[in-house]
Formats: sequence, structure tokens, C-alpha cells
Amino acid sequence: MEKELLPQESLSIIQNMIDKTKHSLSDGSHYFLLWGYAVFLGCIIQYSLLAIGFHEHYYAWSIILVAIVIHNIFIFRDSKKQKVVTFIEEANGQLWMGIGIAFGVMAIMFLKVGYQYCFPFYILFYGLGSFICGKLIKFKPLVIGGIVCYTLAAISVFANYPTQILITAFSILISYIIPGHLLRAKYKTLNR
Amino acid sequence: MFKDLDPILHSQLRLAVMSLLIGVKEAEFTFIKENTNSTAGNLSVQVQKLKEAGYIEVNKQFKDNYPLTTCKITSKGVQAFEDYVKALQQYLDVGKK
Repeated sequence: MEKELLPQESLSIIQNMIDKTKHSLSDGSHYFLLWGYAVFLGCIIQYSLLAIGFHEHYYAWSIILVAIVIHNIFIFRDSKKQKVVTFIEEANGQLWMGIGIAFGVMAIMFLKVGYQYCFPFYILFYGLGSFICGKLIKFKPLVIGGIVCYTLAAISVFANYPTQILITAFSILISYIIPGHLLRAKYKTLNR
Repeated sequence: MFKDLDPILHSQLRLAVMSLLIGVKEAEFTFIKENTNSTAGNLSVQVQKLKEAGYIEVNKQFKDNYPLTTCKITSKGVQAFEDYVKALQQYLDVGKK
């Protein structure tokens, strides 16, 4: 027969279990690093191709196809490991799915509008993703990265196309790559 | 006047399960087992009781040819948990006086 619980014991069970789920947010830093480095490399390659006068400089962005394949491998691998889904993870997943769809739609829109205008909008959406994600998981470097991207998106419309590519590379460094490494370090410390 | 403590929730393991599930969207049976330090047999019995009370939803499926059970709190379960915490609060407030 189970022993009678005292109110203090009940409270302690509730507190203890809530504490366990509070820290069960899974490490998503590899997604930031994957997309951060993919976009960063894309920018640097495209800028270099432009600088040497290569006409099809936009070929640099075929790197995104590689990133999509790796992204799906990550999702497959993570779904096997994940034993619990928190509300924050759920919201975060929906946020990035929404942003991913927006990037796809923008890719189609710029076929008509012209790719020379795309970078400020891409920077804006990088900022939106990292700002909201940073707020959701309470991680300041992402929030700061988001704010920097908002500012750079506004500034970049005044720059010429090659400079916009470099601004995009800098934006992704600040909003994905650096916070991605910091996030990874934070999870490593938490799970030590 | 004291509110009666819900007998379904006023049990060590069932309360632990509900407290885990209140903070997440859903959790696998193995996650609950590891975090409550319970045995699979005892946990199955308690999960079944919570399910019969309508406090949780239990979903059984297969993942990579292995059975996978996930649990999720229902709105009835959330209400029962909130009522339980309020009743507990009354007991504790009286204890302080």
C-alpha cells in the first residue's frame, strides 16, 4: 500500500518534476551553425566570383542545396533522440518552419523582382528568426544578433550589390555563427 | 473549508507524472520513467489510471520497429492539476498559521 502523502511532500514532487522539464530544451546550435556557415560561405564565394568578373556568380548559392540535405539528416537524427517536446521547442519549430517557407517564397518573388534587391530582405528575416528564437529560449546573443540584423537590413538598402553581399555575410556571422557557437558552449556546460 | 485533495493525483508517482507533463507538450514513456525513477510495470499501472480518469492521453505507435508510447496532458488534466495545487495551497496556508 502506498504511504499517505503530506502536502509538503506533494509540493516538493511538483517542484522537483517541473525543474526537470525546465532544463530539457534540446541543443539546436547545430542548425544555427549549419545555416550560418552555409550562408556565410555562399556570400564569400559569390563576392569572390563577382570580383573576378565571373558572370554566373549566383552559382555560389548551390551551397544551399547541400545545406538542405544536411538539415534533413539533422532532423532525422534528432527525431530519434528526442524523448520530450517542450512548448518552447514546439513554438521554436513552428517559427523556423514559417521562416523557411518565407525564404522559399522570397526566392520565387525575387525571380520577378530581381535578385539584386534580395539581400536586405534576407538579412531582415535572419534577424527576425534569431530575435524571436533568442527571446523564446532566453538567449541574449541571439536577441542581440537579431537587433544587429534589423539595423543592417535598413543600412544595406543604401549600399551597392557587392557591398550588400558582404553586409549579409557579416549579419549571418553576428546572428547565427557567433550565437550558434555560444549556444553550443552553453549546452556543453549544462550537460557536463 | 478544505477542498478534498483529488485521490487520483494524491499519489507520489501519479503526481510526479502529471507534474512532468504539465510543463511539456508531450513526453515519451521512457523519459517519464527515467525522470520519476519508477519501474516500467508500476508506471504503466499509474499511467493507465491517469488515462482512465481522462487526465492524460496515451499514444502508442511504432518507431524504427520498436513500440513507442507518448503521453500528453489533457485540458481536464490541466484543470485537475490546477485544482489540486489550489487545494494544496489551502493546507499549507493553514499549516503556517
